[in-house]
Amino acid sequence: MEFPAALFPSYFSAGPPREEGGPAPVAGWGEHGQVLGGGPGRRQVQPAFVSRRGATGEKWEAADAAAVPVLLPSAGCWFPSPAPQDIVYRSGSCRKLRVGKSGATLDFARQLGHFFVDHPEDAFGSLGRLLHKNFYLGNSKLKRPARNSTIRMTALMEDIDRLEARRGCPRQHLASRLRWFSHLCRDWLFEVPLGLLADCLHEELMQQWSNLLFDDSFTGGALAWLPSEDGATPVGRLVHPGGQAMNHLYFQDVVLEELPRARGSPQQFELSGRIRQVAAARVDGQDFVGVRSDYHCGVWRVPGKTGAAPTPLQVIRTDMPASCLTVSPHLPGELSVCTQSGTIYLWSVETGLQQLRHDPQTMFFRDYSPWRWSDFTAHPRVLSCADRTGVQCLDARAPKRCHFDLFKVGEEAGCQQGERVVLPMYLGKAHPSQYLVTTQFSVYVLDERLPLVPVLKWAHMMKAPPLFAHLMPGKPGRSHKVLLGASRTQELLLLQYRGKRSSCRGGGQSACQLAGTPQKLHNIAGCLPHLPTQLPHRHHLLQQRLTAPAAGLAATLQEDGPHKSMLVFQLSEAGDVFCQRLTHKATQPPAPPSRDEATTAPGSSPLFEAPASSPQGLGAAALRYRRWLRAFSRACKEPPRHSWPPSLSQRRLFTHRDLEGPAGPSSLQRQMRQRLRQTMQEGGRIQRWEPLALQPPPLPQTLEPAGGPDPLSTRLTAAWAGDWEQWWEERTSFSVAQRQRALRERRRRQKRAKGRCSLSASFTSSLTYQSELSELSDAGPQLLSPSRPPVLSQEGSPPAGSPPLRSLPTSPAPEEALLSSQSLRCRGIPKERRKTLRDYLSVWAEGPPEPPEPLGSQASQLCIPSSQSQLSSASQPRRKRPRMGF
Amino acid sequence: SSNEHKLNFRKSKEACLSYIQDALLQKQWKRAAEFLTCYVESLEKDYSREHIGPSEMIWRIGTEILWHHSQSSMKEFNCFIEQMKTLGVKRYLKVCLEHVFHLLCNGQIAEAYQNLSLAESWRFGEQTAIQDKEMKLIQAYRGLLDYYSWSKQKNILLEHGEDGFSDLAVEQEMHGYFRKAAVNLKEIIKIPGVWDVFVKCYVDLLEFYGDHNEARQVLNEYAYNSKFPANPNAHVYLYQFLKRQGESKKSLISALKILHDIVPSHELMIDFNTMLQKSKKRKKRRLGLEVIFTALDYAGWKENAKAWSCLARQVKQIVISEKHLDWIKQEWSSRKDWWPAFHFSRYLAKRNWQENKSLSYEKALVAGLLLGKDCKYFKYVSHQGCKAQLKRFRMLKKFMNRHNLVYLRISG
Repeated sequence: MEFPAALFPSYFSAGPPREEGGPAPVAGWGEHGQVLGGGPGRRQVQPAFVSRRGATGEKWEAADAAAVPVLLPSAGCWFPSPAPQDIVYRSGSCRKLRVGKSGATLDFARQLGHFFVDHPEDAFGSLGRLLHKNFYLGNSKLKRPARNSTIRMTALMEDIDRLEARRGCPRQHLASRLRWFSHLCRDWLFEVPLGLLADCLHEELMQQWSNLLFDDSFTGGALAWLPSEDGATPVGRLVHPGGQAMNHLYFQDVVLEELPRARGSPQQFELSGRIRQVAAARVDGQDFVGVRSDYHCGVWRVPGKTGAAPTPLQVIRTDMPASCLTVSPHLPGELSVCTQSGTIYLWSVETGLQQLRHDPQTMFFRDYSPWRWSDFTAHPRVLSCADRTGVQCLDARAPKRCHFDLFKVGEEAGCQQGERVVLPMYLGKAHPSQYLVTTQFSVYVLDERLPLVPVLKWAHMMKAPPLFAHLMPGKPGRSHKVLLGASRTQELLLLQYRGKRSSCRGGGQSACQLAGTPQKLHNIAGCLPHLPTQLPHRHHLLQQRLTAPAAGLAATLQEDGPHKSMLVFQLSEAGDVFCQRLTHKATQPPAPPSRDEATTAPGSSPLFEAPASSPQGLGAAALRYRRWLRAFSRACKEPPRHSWPPSLSQRRLFTHRDLEGPAGPSSLQRQMRQRLRQTMQEGGRIQRWEPLALQPPPLPQTLEPAGGPDPLSTRLTAAWAGDWEQWWEERTSFSVAQRQRALRERRRRQKRAKGRCSLSASFTSSLTYQSELSELSDAGPQLLSPSRPPVLSQEGSPPAGSPPLRSLPTSPAPEEALLSSQSLRCRGIPKERRKTLRDYLSVWAEGPPEPPEPLGSQASQLCIPSSQSQLSSASQPRRKRPRMGF
Repeated sequence: SSNEHKLNFRKSKEACLSYIQDALLQKQWKRAAEFLTCYVESLEKDYSREHIGPSEMIWRIGTEILWHHSQSSMKEFNCFIEQMKTLGVKRYLKVCLEHVFHLLCNGQIAEAYQNLSLAESWRFGEQTAIQDKEMKLIQAYRGLLDYYSWSKQKNILLEHGEDGFSDLAVEQEMHGYFRKAAVNLKEIIKIPGVWDVFVKCYVDLLEFYGDHNEARQVLNEYAYNSKFPANPNAHVYLYQFLKRQGESKKSLISALKILHDIVPSHELMIDFNTMLQKSKKRKKRRLGLEVIFTALDYAGWKENAKAWSCLARQVKQIVISEKHLDWIKQEWSSRKDWWPAFHFSRYLAKRNWQENKSLSYEKALVAGLLLGKDCKYFKYVSHQGCKAQLKRFRMLKKFMNRHNLVYLRISG
């Protein structure tokens, strides 16, 4: 490719940018930039001048009034990423926690509160368990003995509620009770030290906030269009992510008709992470599709023939999140990968990864951003690498030695202060040595043969930085089209530029010129006013869905004889793919005031005015909308729960209704009652409550085939569940003498029992029982201190016989059924109370066999074996181990 | 309160601006113009300390609208710009310059010249650095227009000269233009920048008046001053000047060598290669091989039949003479892992054969020598060539059979 014979004049100086600036709303208009004289030819009277901006471009007009959905929304609800109002403090009174210059205040306290409510186990687990007896949640006054060791939480809760209600009031002071309480327990109550937790949360909040301000993880876009190989048939393939977590990769055949239509079902791959970027390039008639998620990058090969299945070739995993993946347009199966640690790799499917550079620092000046980018250049062995400060090119054969600067944020390119590189892109399809660099203010075209000096520069005036770009090369004599897309605002801008002299000057390469005026295209959200009126909440959902940030951009040119059209696809973070068609109008020299001007003005929606009554004419788009809306409302039947955070009232531990049994007795209960009745009639007794097949054996039971739950595991289970202390008390509440008696009884029974244990086994076990008993008798007096009454429960509810538990003795269903979280949930008992309840009830389930007063042989006969073995394992688990078979 | 009023005014101003922007981006010039008439009010209370103030916005938007509006005329445009010039002192020169550009693009050279002269005489207090730059540009463009006038006179004179008739007045006038042009052009090209047009014109002037030393100095400065960007054109101009001056091969080669070092993919590399290949010195021929290999590394040269024939000729020569096979070996060693996929794939063989037979011939020759006659590219092309009964391709096959084992020595 020839180098232009003369370039547009420009000053050149080095150094940091001097021009102060900022987002300028109209900076791109009304400028010619510079002019270049063709010079008077021998025969020409006057020299002809061309300007850098102002050449006539092609005229493209939108065919429809809005973008139209290509694919139906996927089933399952979509969860929008956090919005500013989720993490920013709403009232303006608190001005301390400023975030940068933006003036927003992060609502740190609210988030911390959410954490405590949503993850109480992680926040207060162990101490909460230890202390929960000392917190009284009931409404009634505390009785005298309990008052010594128990706090009534109700008053505290009321104080907190009052505080919440007064939020934002400048004259709020903490209630003294709250202050006292927080003083008392701030240091030890939390599972994770509060300072550490707060640091982590704050870091996360800052991260979320900076993502909201500018999320660069989608740079490059996650949408690709693979045209059919011959280019003539109006079929292509859309590669896009989908699914609730955007972790499914779809290859969807699309027929380009009036409106693009999906053909057949897509080829689908499930990936292990959210898809951030889909990059594609065609080499030797095959498409190579690179897919980037945070920690994995993969490459697929798609044969050019339509309908051929894509084959996954290779996957790599990175330790740091990858920030870039580009596919080589020169060599099959070559890609470049960058990670946020500042490492750049050349990835070849055949030879693997080659590290080209590792530098956590930015190139030209210090910038905090870990974002890196890399792309290919005109030389297949030379790769560009970019960070926010500029672009360098380096030779993969000697990356340390051979490199040159292609673009620098500085005076060289006439940048503004604060300008940063957002997306570099190789424009090889249009011109082998040209390069596009977008910043938040401007778009630059660079020629790698003349580095640092942009051959084209234009202030794009987009509201959000352009994260996506797509090039559609023009045929000789026609302009190249570049689409720029922003994420948050969904903006789409069509630019045209030409690098060749128009045909009237004949041949030769000329300097780059911007052609025509930039043009705004429809975005996804733009169809909202055209849609039929919805119910308010439905409208809100729809709005939320349609205004989701854009996540990708693809386009294709379609030539059908004289009719040329351009199809632009836009992907949103919600996984929706919308499309619009632009038709090429042959240039009539002075454009007459077109009627479109009136019709495309906002407020008028000729297409979707009455989508229900338009089966004819422009109905295709309307029909498409109707179908999409129907599928959307079906997918969003359940409004997302997250919009109101779960709130808990903890005034009482549980209400009367909580403990009421389900409407009728369960089948199990019925069965049990029947059995009870039968046994009573027979005058017999029930040895075990377990139904024949229903009891799921706890895991450790397998070690002791028939001896009931093994003692260590019951103890561990108790400790794990947090009522170890209670268990201990139960255990010590037996007098030693009683237990010795019971033991002797048991030994007698064991001797009588035949075949179950071998002699030696019974011998060893009896031996240990003896030794343990002696140990117990040593420890006994200390544990049974007089201050601790041998009561079973200190849960805060009165013991046996009190109203809430009345149902229990009458329907002694097996505890598993009663206490299963499912049954508790169906009674409407909140999760965090279920546990307490279960512990509470488990006490009563064990109650009958071990009553507080010695009941004599009847009780011990009922289930002594298990309780005895429990006893024996209690004190010295370490010594037990060998015998337990661990 | 007044503060609130100000705030609301600002808000409505912003809203108006966003409507204008929206209309401009959708090419609704009429609508934009209507909004702009409202926006003009914003000039009244211009408290903004923004980067671009309302007056500049109005200038930019108005200009854009008038460029595209179907009912605008040049007269209206000039009228608008004149108003804009008075609107802001800071931007006076910039607005003038843009006005001149517009006039030039519309072929109104005389008006443009007049405007440039006017702008040049403008003085207002101390100039900022940017204004200084703009002033220099204005002078340079005036110099350029003077050059065009000079060139016109020169053409007249030359035509008349052929008739044996010389007009003293025309000649005087021409020299006047020369002086005016030379002064201004000389100034701007001293400042670092890309001044292709100005340098070319200035050198043309100097050459006409026989001041070759000055011309050479200007071109050397433009090409080799490290404060200037690495502009390939600077080297091209120097090379062309040297060629016009009939300089020795050696100095031409050294000029091109530097161009090769900065832009190995420049189209002059073919000339450079031919020049080097003709040289008697081994070192130069060696360099020639390197130059052509390097050029073909670039995607833009992939289908350049001329370059491939240069490479094919040189490689063939070396193989036949059996001397300096190590040159090829050296060049090939850094390329053998990617050239086969980049240049010699079966897909490319097919496509090259369909699109350009002579290109595929040259490439097949190179592929056969470098990779052996079993490589996909050679196999496909020679098969097709023999099938099509092309004599050239049959000869190629024979040649390859004779030198079948060369590739082993090259890649070994």
